[in-house]
Parts: sequence; C-alpha cells; structure tokens
Amino acid sequence: MFRYTASSVGRATRFNLQPGVFLALAALCFATIVYAATPPSSTLNPVNGSSASWAGGGTAGATTDETTCVDGTDCDVYTITLTGSPANYKGLVLAISISHQNKLNDYDLYVHKGDLTGPVIASSTGGIPETGEAVVIDPTVSGTGVYTVHVVDSTVAPGDPYSGVATITTPPTDSLAHGNAPTYANYQSPPGLGDNSGEPSIGANFNSGRIMTQAILDTLQVTFNTNTSPAMATWLLKDGPNTSTTSLDPILFTDSHTGRTIVSQLFGTTSLSAFTDNDGETYTVSQGGGIASGVDHQTVGGGPFRLCTADQLLATPVPCAQLAVRGPLTQYPHAVYYASQDIGDAAMALSQDGGLTYEAARPMYTLVDCGGLHGHIKVSSSGIVYLPNKSCGNTQGLIVSMDNGLTFTVEPVTGSTSNSSDPSVGIGSKGRVYFGYVAGDGHPHITISDDQGRSWHNDLDVGVPFSIRNTVFPEVVAGDNDRASFFFLGTPSAGDGTGADTGPTPFNGVWHGYIATTYNGGRTWFTVDTTPNDAVQLGVICTQGTTCPSGTRNLLDFNDLTVDKMGRVFAAYTDGCITAACIARGNNSTASHTRLDNDGATKATIIRQSTGLGLFKSQDATPFRP
Amino acid sequence: MRRAVLPAFLLFGVAPFAAARQPAPQILGLRLGMPYAQARSRLNQIGQFKSEDEGQQVWTLTHDRHYQYAIIGFDRDRQVRYITVLARPDGKPVSYADVGDLAQATRSGGPGNIRYTWRVSAKGGHFEYLVIAKGKDQHYLDRFAVKRLGAENEREDRD
Repeated sequence: MFRYTASSVGRATRFNLQPGVFLALAALCFATIVYAATPPSSTLNPVNGSSASWAGGGTAGATTDETTCVDGTDCDVYTITLTGSPANYKGLVLAISISHQNKLNDYDLYVHKGDLTGPVIASSTGGIPETGEAVVIDPTVSGTGVYTVHVVDSTVAPGDPYSGVATITTPPTDSLAHGNAPTYANYQSPPGLGDNSGEPSIGANFNSGRIMTQAILDTLQVTFNTNTSPAMATWLLKDGPNTSTTSLDPILFTDSHTGRTIVSQLFGTTSLSAFTDNDGETYTVSQGGGIASGVDHQTVGGGPFRLCTADQLLATPVPCAQLAVRGPLTQYPHAVYYASQDIGDAAMALSQDGGLTYEAARPMYTLVDCGGLHGHIKVSSSGIVYLPNKSCGNTQGLIVSMDNGLTFTVEPVTGSTSNSSDPSVGIGSKGRVYFGYVAGDGHPHITISDDQGRSWHNDLDVGVPFSIRNTVFPEVVAGDNDRASFFFLGTPSAGDGTGADTGPTPFNGVWHGYIATTYNGGRTWFTVDTTPNDAVQLGVICTQGTTCPSGTRNLLDFNDLTVDKMGRVFAAYTDGCITAACIARGNNSTASHTRLDNDGATKATIIRQSTGLGLFKSQDATPFRP
Repeated sequence: MRRAVLPAFLLFGVAPFAAARQPAPQILGLRLGMPYAQARSRLNQIGQFKSEDEGQQVWTLTHDRHYQYAIIGFDRDRQVRYITVLARPDGKPVSYADVGDLAQATRSGGPGNIRYTWRVSAKGGHFEYLVIAKGKDQHYLDRFAVKRLGAENEREDRD
C-alpha cells in the first residue's frame, strides 16, 4: 500500500490507498501542492540583524489543526534558508513572527525543518484575541539550510491578511515560568465508598459539570458545591449493572463533550461494560470490546471521528470517502476505541455507535515493535488516535492512527528512555501532543510534538524543583494548545523505589502527588506538591506487575487526570497512607519511611485545582473559587 | 477377514487425516506447557534472542522460510503459556487452511482483518488451547499463535 499525503504537509490528512487510486489522484494532489506567500522565500545570514519579511497569501478559512488544512485554501508557505554552518550561529537565534489586525481572526504558525514533510521544530498556536504568533529557533541545535514556515488559518475571515518577519537575533534569556502557580485541594472519598481503589480513572462531564471516577468496583459520581468555599464534595455510588461484581482491570472513560461515561471491567478477551449518559443514573449494557481485543490491560477512549473538512473533501474526495466509511453510524457523534494487549501483540477496536458494539480488533503492533502493555487512548480534536507505550525499542513510543483505527504507526519518542510506568499523553486543542513519562533514571519528564509524534522537542525534567528521583504513574491532560497539566507520584529519595524491595534494606521514601502545569506550550512548567502534608505512600511503589511482593503494589498501575469545562484540573489517585500515624511519619523527616511503615491502604482520592489559571484561556476572566 | 480390513483402513486412514486437520499445541517444536529450559534450548536452535517484556520473549528466527519472529510467553511455573509466530514478509506464505480445517474454526473480522480461531482439547483432555491464525490477506496469514487456556498467570490477578 502506498502512503499518500493529501496536502503538502508531511503527514497531513494521511490515508492509505490502493496504488491505482493513488495514481488517479496524483494530478489533483500536485495541482494543489503549495500556495506560497509573497515573496515566497528568503535567505538569512549568521549576522545579528539579518532579516526578511513577507506578506501572507491572503487565504481564509477554518481548520482544526495543521493536518486539516489545504495549502492555497486555508494555509500557505514561506521558505527561509539559513546560510553557513550551525556553529556560525553561536549566540544567535532565528526569530519568526506573524501578525494580523483583526482580533476575531486566528492564524497559527508552524516551522518545519526542511520542506513540509520535515519535522515541526517550533510552533505558535495562540488563539483569539491575540493578533500575533512567534517562535524562536536555535540553529546550533536545529541546523542550517531550509526552514519552511507554514501559516494555518485556524479561524480567519477574508480581508485580514497576515504579515511575517524572520530575523537573526540574540536569544531571550528568560526561561522561568511567570505568574502564580495553581493551588490544589484533596478530597478523600467518604468511608464505605472507594475503600478498595487502585488504578483509578476519572472523567469530567462538560454538560452536567460532574466528575465520574472508578475505584476498582465502585463507580462514583462526584459533585462539587461551589456555593461554599472551599467547595464541598458529594460522592454517590453509581455502579453499572454489570461492572461492580468482578474486575481483572477497571477502566472508566468520560467523553467530556458528549457526556457519555463508559465503564469497563476486563473479562477474558473482552470486557464487561456499560455506558451512561446521565452520570450513572441509568446504564446501557454494551458489547464490551472488539472481538478478540486481548486479554490484558485494556483502555477505552474516544473523541471526534477523523473526517475531512469541506476543503479537504473538494481537494481529495476519494480518501475522504474512505475515511467517512469509518465515521458515525448512529446519532452518537464521536468514535469510541477499545485497546488491549493480546498474545504477542496489542489490538484496537473501533465503535461507530458510541461504545454499544465494536468491530473486530485490529492489530496495532507486536512485541517485536513495543512492549505489550500500553497507556491510555487519547483522541485529538481532529480525530487522530494516540496510544502511548513505555518501551518501543530503546525509547518510549507513541502509536498513532490517522484513519479512525484502521491502520497504525509506531513513533519513537526520540530523546526519551524507557521505564516501568505506562506513559500518558494529553492533546491540545490544536493537536499539540504532550507526552509525560518516567525516564530511565526515574525522573518525571514531559516532551512535546507538533507533528503527530514524528519529532519531539522541549523535553524537560519537571521534578527538578523538588529533586524528584523516583516517579510513577505519569498522567497528562491538555486544554488549549499551549496549556497542559502533568500529574505524577514522586519522591526525592534515591534508590530502587519502584522495585520488588527484596534487598536487605527496604526502600526509604515519602511519596507525594505533584502536578506540573504549562501555560506556554511546554517551554516552562509550574510544579506543585499537591499533597504537601499528607504522603500518598511510604516506602516502595512496586511497578513490576503481578510479580510484586504482597503489600508493595497496593496502588496498582496508574492514576488519572482530567479537566472540566472551566479548565479546572482534577486528578484521581489511590492513597496508600491514610491513618494519622502514617501521615505523621510521612511528615517527620527523621522517621522511618519504608513499606513496613506504610498503611498499604487503597483509598480513592481526588485532587481538585483550587486557584490559578485553568487550561482554557477563554475562562481566565472568571477566577476559580477554592 | 475382508470385513475386518475395511474398518481397519478407515481407522488408520481417516484418523491420521483428522489428526492432521486438528491444529497441534505446538509451533516449530515449541509446545504449550514445555518447561522453560527445554523451550529455551529449542529457541536457541532456531533463532536468536531479541528482547523480553513482562515474561514474554521475542526471538528472531534465523532459518525458517515462513516465519521471521517467534514470541513466547511463560506462566508462573516457567512453562510455555503461548507461542506466536509472525510471517516473514518475503517468505513462503502460509495459508489459513495450512493451520487446520477452516470448517472447524470460528471466523471473525472482515476484509483486511481476518481471524480464524480453533478451540481444541489436548490429547487426554488435560487442558484446552486456542489456535489463532490472522492476517490482512484473505488467503495467507500474518500471525499464527497457540495459547493454553487456564494457564497460571493468565489473568487471575488484576494488572
């Protein structure tokens, strides 16, 4: 099969076509290959002040992200060539900016190394009412030669062309996060509810404003009364008809936009599953998963189907029709996906009817490509499906589907190293991928991709402010394209904090929950200890699966993180240290902090953002009430 | 005498045929339930170790005309729990029918995603196992697996 690119963007609107279809469409493809700015290109030299400017092509339109634009219709191209060698640019950067007049319009800026098939090494994707976008590129890192500036109409009405400037200048010196860090409050489930938690899931229903969370067999509906401050939480048990009696793996997924919550309990090669559209008041029992989806570590996720825009439909009708075949079959507008590992591979199945039934599962990868266990499904606003994996070769990996789960590619997360916790991704509103993971040295890292995982940048250790040396359960959620939060459990104690703890000296460490948040696309992060006076666990958190000794794996395999309609962040975790004695030991720096000092509890707990900016800029004018 | 010959012919003719059509609990000399040391010895004969993940090993098959990789999973007792082999892209293709009698298999999936599954009782009824052949092509498989049902470490524990 050929891999065909509908626009000139590297993986924009990627489809798999039969060779004959490819040939039949070739003329149409090349007829729209690139629509350039005026002038279309420039050459800059390694001299402070070397500069060029251009005028946009006058395009107008609306796109979801770079992958849904059609060059010449709602995006255009400007090419910059840097002369000399990278070493010539020592102490210099390439600064690129665009600006326009109308605050109701929104252009986005992407810069590829090489042509449009090259990696996106920088992007700026702010939204209304901003009238400019800007990026800074270090040629000593990215190299010299050709850079392609891709300006995409996120929402642009005719009559407001942009202008662009590219300059060789000195680099900015400020690398610290500015403003106030968010604050958080913890809400423990009441006695009798969520007592047996472990690998909890959490979701936010944008329609009702409620939070749904799963603690093994308990499906819990949580409502926060904001008429009081701090807000009061009401927890209600809302079990499904078939999801509260047996569990090999529990999963809850809420599609925030549709308000549908799907609860899944692993059961052989499928799941016992049901969904609710009213936060657990009533349920519909579903098929569970795709035929032969796999036996272990399932995940359920969903979001928009990947369908063509009107402009793409005009430009490439045949592949668009192929995509549409895997579109919605009922009134339910979104796709639901179920994935799991099987014997020697991992597979994913699409539901085109909101999770009621699923197709037969399709293989995503084999153990030759990646480890069998994987993280959880996330779907971008343009319908791209992502599934993270902690070990694909020598790095973390990201499995990507751009055709509604028909085919999959495995993208290595370059620059990362493998570890034992499943990684997590958050997808910004315009497609930016935030990949949170535990590096081989145990530190919490997050890295960014603006081209669906083909290239990565801004990899940072967000545990530095607290000297975190052991980390488990990375969980990521994004809102606007440049805002994301990253939740993890960490401890500054060195040593094997995630092993079986069978040595002569038990691991000594106090684990807290931390949330790191970015408001500038991952350039800087605020990292906050969200459980500063109440340890989550003392001693080891074993991540070696079913081989872990008794009492070391009470938290199981993951936590979860979500965002509500206002941009407020919520995390679900299992608290292993809940008695007054355990908490006191955790707060006493001279006390012993081994597994023998821990409660080994499994109590469902939610972290709720109290103050600070949320993940949606549109809500910044309404400050959060604690 | 003649009357006795015919049943004997049927017994020895049909039975082997039927046995051949019922997929065996082994691939490339690797048997379900085989102890780790024996499996490892056999794997060393036919391939090279590539990687290991959570009790599952990937081996590159060095000489097999049909298959490029073998993936083998072990249970808690270090016995073979499953074997999966991946077809060599440029190798001699294996048809689904080569695995077993398709009439006795359950077919699932559709065009581009075909899967045949046989559920078989081992001789003596000691255990049951699944045989799975799947692929994108309508005639030839991409993957072929045998898996013991009810093996230790299958899924008793939450993971």
